[in-house]
Amino acid sequence: MQAPILHTIRGQQIWLSAARVLYWENKKTLIVSDTHFGKTGHFRKNGIVVPQNVYKEDLQRFFDQCSLFKPEEILVIGDFFHSTSNKELDLFIRWRKDLNYLPITLVRGNHDILKDSWYEEAGIHIVEGIHTIDAFSFVHDPSGIEENEQYYFCGHVHPGIVMRNGVRQSLTFPCFFFDQQKCILPAFSKFSGLKMMRPKKTDAVFMITDQHVIKA
Amino acid sequence: MKKHIGHTIITQWLRDHQMHPFDFQEQTWKAIIEGESGLVNAPTGCGKTYSVFLGSLMQFIEANPTHYKTAKNNGLQLLWITPLRALAKDIGRAMEEVIVALGMQWKVGIRNGDTSNADRQKQKKQTPEVLIITPESLHLLLTQKSHASIFETLKIIAVDEWHELMGGKRGVQVELAIAHIMRAKAEGISYKGEEKPSSFHLKASTSIWGISATIGNLEEAKEVLLSPLQQKGRIIAAQIDKPIEVHTIIPEEIEKYPWAGHLGIKLAHMLVPIIEQSKTTLIFINTRGMSETWYQTLLTIAPQLAGAIALHHGSIEQELRLWVEDALHTEKLKAVVCTASLDLGVDFRPVDTVIQVGSPKGVARFLQRAGRSGHRPGETSKIYFLPTHSLEIVEAAALKDAIVQKNIESKDPLLLCYDVLLQFMCTLAIGDGFIPQELWKQVKSTYCFADMHETEWQELLQHVVNGGTALAQYDEYKKIEIEEGVYKIKSRKIAMRHRMHIGTIVSDAMLKVKFMSGGYVGVIEEYFISRLEPGDVFTLAGRNLELVMIKEMTVLVKKSTAKKSIVPSWMGGRMSLTANLGEVLRDTFSKALKPNVGYELASLVPLFLLQQQLSHIPQPQELLIEQIVEKDGYHLLVYPFEGRQVHEALSAILAYRIGQITPISFSISMNDYGFELLSDQPIPVDDTNAYDLFSEDNLLIDIQRSINKSEMAKRKFRDIAVIGGLIFQGFPGEQKKARHLQSSASLLFKVFEEYDPNNILLRQAYNEVLLQQMEEVRLRQALQRIAKSKIVIQFPEKLTPLSFPIIVDGLNRNNLSSEKLEDRIQKMQQQLANI
Repeated sequence: MQAPILHTIRGQQIWLSAARVLYWENKKTLIVSDTHFGKTGHFRKNGIVVPQNVYKEDLQRFFDQCSLFKPEEILVIGDFFHSTSNKELDLFIRWRKDLNYLPITLVRGNHDILKDSWYEEAGIHIVEGIHTIDAFSFVHDPSGIEENEQYYFCGHVHPGIVMRNGVRQSLTFPCFFFDQQKCILPAFSKFSGLKMMRPKKTDAVFMITDQHVIKA
Repeated sequence: MKKHIGHTIITQWLRDHQMHPFDFQEQTWKAIIEGESGLVNAPTGCGKTYSVFLGSLMQFIEANPTHYKTAKNNGLQLLWITPLRALAKDIGRAMEEVIVALGMQWKVGIRNGDTSNADRQKQKKQTPEVLIITPESLHLLLTQKSHASIFETLKIIAVDEWHELMGGKRGVQVELAIAHIMRAKAEGISYKGEEKPSSFHLKASTSIWGISATIGNLEEAKEVLLSPLQQKGRIIAAQIDKPIEVHTIIPEEIEKYPWAGHLGIKLAHMLVPIIEQSKTTLIFINTRGMSETWYQTLLTIAPQLAGAIALHHGSIEQELRLWVEDALHTEKLKAVVCTASLDLGVDFRPVDTVIQVGSPKGVARFLQRAGRSGHRPGETSKIYFLPTHSLEIVEAAALKDAIVQKNIESKDPLLLCYDVLLQFMCTLAIGDGFIPQELWKQVKSTYCFADMHETEWQELLQHVVNGGTALAQYDEYKKIEIEEGVYKIKSRKIAMRHRMHIGTIVSDAMLKVKFMSGGYVGVIEEYFISRLEPGDVFTLAGRNLELVMIKEMTVLVKKSTAKKSIVPSWMGGRMSLTANLGEVLRDTFSKALKPNVGYELASLVPLFLLQQQLSHIPQPQELLIEQIVEKDGYHLLVYPFEGRQVHEALSAILAYRIGQITPISFSISMNDYGFELLSDQPIPVDDTNAYDLFSEDNLLIDIQRSINKSEMAKRKFRDIAVIGGLIFQGFPGEQKKARHLQSSASLLFKVFEEYDPNNILLRQAYNEVLLQQMEEVRLRQALQRIAKSKIVIQFPEKLTPLSFPIIVDGLNRNNLSSEKLEDRIQKMQQQLANI
């Protein structure tokens, strides 16, 4: 996978990775959103066949990023887990135990509906609504942004971008979407759809192909 | 016929009412009384219902000669499967009239999506003698526990409109249900260890009767239907030659350079006298978008028709459509502009004239539409053909020939539809459950799955029981569970969800369109509306509407007075010419410029003279290739007359193969007659390599390399995923959806491609692309035909009449606005005509 590329916002150094994560270097924080862990398990529990390997690979990629960036903290901007509990989450817990020194903060998203005790046992600190660290604020749903001077990071949307090549063909990619006020992170999970963005000239879009982050 | 009391009683009753049976009815009755199975081939409106239904009554009277009038609660005798809900009531009523007239006690029950719960309960307590049912409701019936007992007394399974069902997945549903019923009767399925019902010994032998309009492969249609019976059965064909009058509307001035689309509308005024002189006229338009335009145009040029003319297509609100259908029955309308939405269904008595605008693309469809007029015995069907460009006049001549030659398309039965089978397995698992070895035999007895391999069967079982491959201890997949060897669905939630999803008709994501002020307009595809911005004006249901906003699956609009609007192009795509029509068309083209060829071809003499002068008129054993150099580049035109769909594949393969000779890039366009490769450099095709370029060798490999199959498979996967139970669509019209279980077909496709590429449903999608989208069989036949043909390569100095519509189609593809396009084409026409 291509090395992360640097993007500076308000003097802070943010690394964009093709693994669908951000690394905030100044704070040594790994930022992800919409991991939807346990989604395949939830579908399968309800009798819908989905290959579980997509989850296995998501989880692998998640912990790979932890060893790669060696962050001091992980910040998840919502939809960490997809739904109610299922056995797939045990696999997460197994990995988590090996990294139990690493604090994880979860800014709650609409999918995060597990019991409080579960998060506690998993060593996940929950924040409701808006979470603020210096000039940056984190909120799951962009519609929850407040009008102020803060720069926001959000998830929820699963942003994507259409690239047209030639006359009738087009390809879609997940992307990091930056405008004047906020950044919307791509969904971390590969088992997630895309909402196509219509960027303005002043927006910055970084699309994620399989191995690369490319400024669109 | 030997004297049979049942036969005597019924024919006497018919005579008393001045009704005279047709030969095919007599033959069917005899065959039914003798316990045979088969296929009745008769056009609509010729008493095909009576042929099987009265046969069933005769059989009963025959078995109960003394008390047939008083016998009640006889259990199910006749299962009548029909694809059309709307027909059920009419058929039921007709049957009841006969039963009452004969003084019998039979009950007729109707079972479909509209049947109330109370009626269902009633039917459960007391099964009617006749049950009229849709394929979906029949499968739903199989989810009931001990449903086998319903079929114990069953004597006849009748499948109406089998030609319609057979070509689609609903046909596969029928095949599976019939195989199940036949085995249930033969063996008395009861897995729960319950005692078999006492009446079990009454087990009657059951015959199967299909009813079909004429198609090219009636013999195969019969074989498919009777497959579980392992009997040959017989075909009983009605020798009723219904007279059809075909009139072609010839424009006053023939364009030597034809292009599609505009000519039709220019001829609209010629329809007005036809409409006025007829009682009721159906005007068939090929696309929903064009039907909107036609409706508007007719109202503009004939304002006197306002109120007497209506629009009917699949995206119009159901209630409005029902109103139109009702008004057709009661003769309140002079004309209805419609699409394939009125191809099937109840016959409208007042309709005496049909107008077909543009190519019907197939002989069967043309006949079907013609038959919607004057459908009662003894009447003549009258159809006017209105060409949308001058070359279509040749099609009119070809259609006439095809009708005389009875060259009617086949409907190919679908094979190995694993999605339908998976659904069916779950259906049975909800009812009494199934034992794999037994179900395997039953499924193998159908035509659709006769060639299924044991390994595929194991994969399917693996799919429903274990959910494919999984992460052993971290998986809780649950759908079908095994209990003492019986495969069952025990979760009520899963069972309920499955019941809601039984069926194989998958509709596109549709949004409701409503006025801001309230009031429902219709539905529209999400795909279309998602490309509009608030303030854009579009046309739906004959009205210009301005998009205000989209809110919760509803498109809110207000009336617009804007002159220009966007007419939705509905997905579903353009129909492609059938092989049969293509063949007759090739033949008809060769007759141009010959004497005594009928007024259609005669009207095109100037066009053909020009074609001959500039190039060549292709003969049946020839393939014409034209190379034309124009300002915009090098055009290579090929005319196989195989229909748009085959041309799509053929052009991609040819482009790929030429690309192997020299690095070159093309833009490709096509119509039903031929296709065009356009390049900015000379295209190296001449008589030294032409045959090789069309060789059948390496066809599959070249398809793989030249066509983006993955994109096509993704589209096919949508239906498969819904039918196969991977997508939960929620409840129609309700917001209530299963929590956190939504996903889109394209997402699932992506996930399966990457993480489970060998999945059986994914494989099916690719298979469907090859067989249905690419029409591999037809593609091969086309290449074989070309190999035997003489390839004629011409180098015309300028565009030829045959090439013009294809090249115009290519212009269309570039992002020119439609207005500019029209100007540009007219200019081209003028320039070409001046020389």
